[in-house]
Amino acid sequence: MAVEPPLVRIRGLTKRYGRRGARGGTAEVEALAGVDLAIARGAIVALVGLSGSGKSTLARCLARLEEPSGGEISFEGADLLALRGRALRGVREKIQLVFQDAAAALDPRLRAAEIVSEPLEVLGRGGRVERRRRALELMESVGLPAAWGDRRPLDLSGGQRQRLAIARALAVQPRLLILDEAFTGLDASIQAQIAGLLVELRARHGLTYLCISHDLALVSVLADEVAILFEGRIVEEGPAARIFADARHPHTRALVGAVAALPALSASPPAP
Amino acid sequence: MAWLARRALHGLFLLLAVSILSFALVELAPGDFFAEMRLDPRVSEATLRALRARHGLDRPLPERYLRWVASLARGELGYSFAYGSPVAPLLWPRARNTLLLTATATAVAWALAIPIGTWWATLRGRAARHLLGGLFALLLALPDIVLALALLLLAVRTGWFPAGGMVSLGHEQLSWSGRVQDVVRHLALPAAALVLAVLPVLVRHVRASMAAVLDAPFVRAARGHGLSETRVLLSHALPAAANPLISLFGLSLAGLLSMSLLVEVVMSWPGLGPLLLEAILARDFYLVLGLVLASTFLLVAGNLLADALLLAADPRIRTGAR
Amino acid sequence: MALGLAVLATVHLAALGASFLAPYAPGRQNRTLPYASPTRVHVVDGAGHVHLRPFVHALSEAPGPGGAYEEDRSRAFPVRFLVRDDPEPRAPEGRLHLFGVEEPARIFLLGTDGFGRDQLSRLLHGAQISLFAGLLATVLSLATGWLLGTLAGFYGRWLDGIVMRAAEVFLALPWLYLLFAVRAVLPLHVSAGQAFLMLVLVIGLVDWARPARLVRGVVLSARERNYVLAARGFGASDLYLIRRHIAPQTFGLLLTQAALLVPQYILAEVTLSFLGLGVSEPVPSWGNMLAALQRYNVLASYWWMWAPGLALVPVFLAYFSLSEALHARVGPASP
Repeated sequence: MAVEPPLVRIRGLTKRYGRRGARGGTAEVEALAGVDLAIARGAIVALVGLSGSGKSTLARCLARLEEPSGGEISFEGADLLALRGRALRGVREKIQLVFQDAAAALDPRLRAAEIVSEPLEVLGRGGRVERRRRALELMESVGLPAAWGDRRPLDLSGGQRQRLAIARALAVQPRLLILDEAFTGLDASIQAQIAGLLVELRARHGLTYLCISHDLALVSVLADEVAILFEGRIVEEGPAARIFADARHPHTRALVGAVAALPALSASPPAP
Repeated sequence: MAWLARRALHGLFLLLAVSILSFALVELAPGDFFAEMRLDPRVSEATLRALRARHGLDRPLPERYLRWVASLARGELGYSFAYGSPVAPLLWPRARNTLLLTATATAVAWALAIPIGTWWATLRGRAARHLLGGLFALLLALPDIVLALALLLLAVRTGWFPAGGMVSLGHEQLSWSGRVQDVVRHLALPAAALVLAVLPVLVRHVRASMAAVLDAPFVRAARGHGLSETRVLLSHALPAAANPLISLFGLSLAGLLSMSLLVEVVMSWPGLGPLLLEAILARDFYLVLGLVLASTFLLVAGNLLADALLLAADPRIRTGAR
Repeated sequence: MALGLAVLATVHLAALGASFLAPYAPGRQNRTLPYASPTRVHVVDGAGHVHLRPFVHALSEAPGPGGAYEEDRSRAFPVRFLVRDDPEPRAPEGRLHLFGVEEPARIFLLGTDGFGRDQLSRLLHGAQISLFAGLLATVLSLATGWLLGTLAGFYGRWLDGIVMRAAEVFLALPWLYLLFAVRAVLPLHVSAGQAFLMLVLVIGLVDWARPARLVRGVVLSARERNYVLAARGFGASDLYLIRRHIAPQTFGLLLTQAALLVPQYILAEVTLSFLGLGVSEPVPSWGNMLAALQRYNVLASYWWMWAPGLALVPVFLAYFSLSEALHARVGPASP
């Protein structure tokens, strides 16, 4: 079996925040305490953890929206954290982040086509007509009719907004798509639709996904690999099926135990 | 309590900052008190230089600031060239008069605003509400100058009130109660001008706060328990509306002091305002400086008072809960 | 709201068209007719005939018993429209006026002041100073406040700290005292043009702190929105983020603030000129026109001299109704 280097390799990533204490002192919060994670090209990796485990922090460090306190991240073999200026801008297109709560992630004053074409505008790709054409194309590819190009985000449903956010992320043809709690707050049927869309897009565009969620059941359907994040560290990782069948870390067991039903897997019932 | 002490310290820092900036501002001024004298051909250059040197105006900036701070520490606040005396003794009586005027006006304005605003909030008929709204809008739109002048006209035409000043001739000869009466008669019109100027704003805010509170569930519950409307108002609604109203009190102080400047000048009330105008026209900068500081002090003190009231009214601040 | 805008538009257009609308130049004195009451315009003559064109009578040169000027009924002077002045060096064809009457009659629709100057003409010309000083000062104040508030809110940390501490210091003084203090250090005697500029600059720059705080608040919350973060993820520059996403959120706030500030600044100009610290004679401003009322005899006897003060009322009412309407449309603007 040919061993291909992973698309992303994270080693020993740490992130500390200073937080104002109640009496005016400064307490340090360690959001990430040495994370090691590898994401293979074309894989769907799920990062699961409870709120406060550091998931979003990791997502932002990976997308270079925040600077980690320590550790290294390599992307396509190169040191991601060392990039600045033009090189950094070049890499930004390759890693895109889709947020939870698309209503907050989309500027309510802009129209759908403008939102989707914004990355192109920022990067200066193509004239206005060209950008709009591409935006409508992208909307179609995520299942939104091009006729909705002039609608405002608040006129769309939650699921439709999430599709719009995905369309926007795809505008710059990224390699890695980080989905930060992208399914949370949507109906189960909508979640399934979005999941299906993502699988289809992966096949069509050769994408790699990092799905971040607190809901193990949710991402288990989608993911190849699952990594469990607990108090700033990865405590267990492996193929999704193995995690469910044979959870090793007590925290993983707790999460698995909370899962009611696993429609897509035919593995034996979870250990009590 | 520690919170209040911190606010007081903060106020002190603000005063210091204002003093430094004002001093810098005054130093930027082209010319000084003696520049006007230069125009007088009888005064020679040598005399001017000697005068300057005597008052230390030819020293470098930091030294002048330090000398001024030293005089501050001595309680003098610099020297007024026009009056030929340290600034501080000129300020105290004026500051006291301004305080008298603004405190009276504030008390009367709030004493009127709360009942009127509450009554307005409870009004049912749309016509009545619109009428009141229109009336107060008109009052708000009337410029303070016009208000003050109109009241002055009232004084001149009817003679019911004196048309300026704080005391009449022969004030010292009056008995204690006579003197109080005399001041009150002089105070009436300037205070009325201030009250009328600030009332529309206060009434509207009281109405808005009370309307919001009267609609709240806990008030409706109180009514449902059979409490009389007055009881509901006094024991439940007013205390709940206290917080935003006290904040309003704090915020309205700056405006009130500004308005008092104008009213004092127009109606000849011997407060900080008229002295400031004189000082400006005479280019007496240290006096200007002192007056500005005095007004800042009044504002900072007023805000501290508002903070103390807030502390007393809102238990959440006392326990430090957020 | 429409009514408010209509009133404001009318008033400002009238101010701009002062030279045309006013029957006389504002500085033109009639030393023989000080404190004349407003000219009575008649349509019915002594014999009871109705004239289609209104007319006036000339005034006697000296006040009769009771202090008022008497009309000389012997001759009627019809009111003419679109009248031209005599040519003068700066206006070779003579200035055009909306209406006027032939010499020696005068048409003083709002009476005259102590120098016999037509108050209506001065009111119209004075409007140019008072209304536009307030408007320009507002633009300046909002621009400065917006810039500092946006920079403070967007970049945060030490820049925010400095700007906010500075704002606190500026707000520690009662506004009018601060205005006076700054005015104090500037030269006392300046030309009218310089005075106007000075007023606009001082009033506008001194009050930056209140708009700045409000703008900063909006910018702070806008900055944290996920769509700003997402745009940053595409590599958007700070300038782009401000221009595209953050600034538009501040526009509603700026409009509401403008409607509140303009009346305040007009009043500031009027106050300063009234006290002799603003625009001074002979250039008319509503402020220095009101200064005449500081003398008791003028205050009590000559009601037409109150015109500049009363003219402010509809202007302020219009601005207030505008701010109410904007407030309802856009959302709260004041803390």
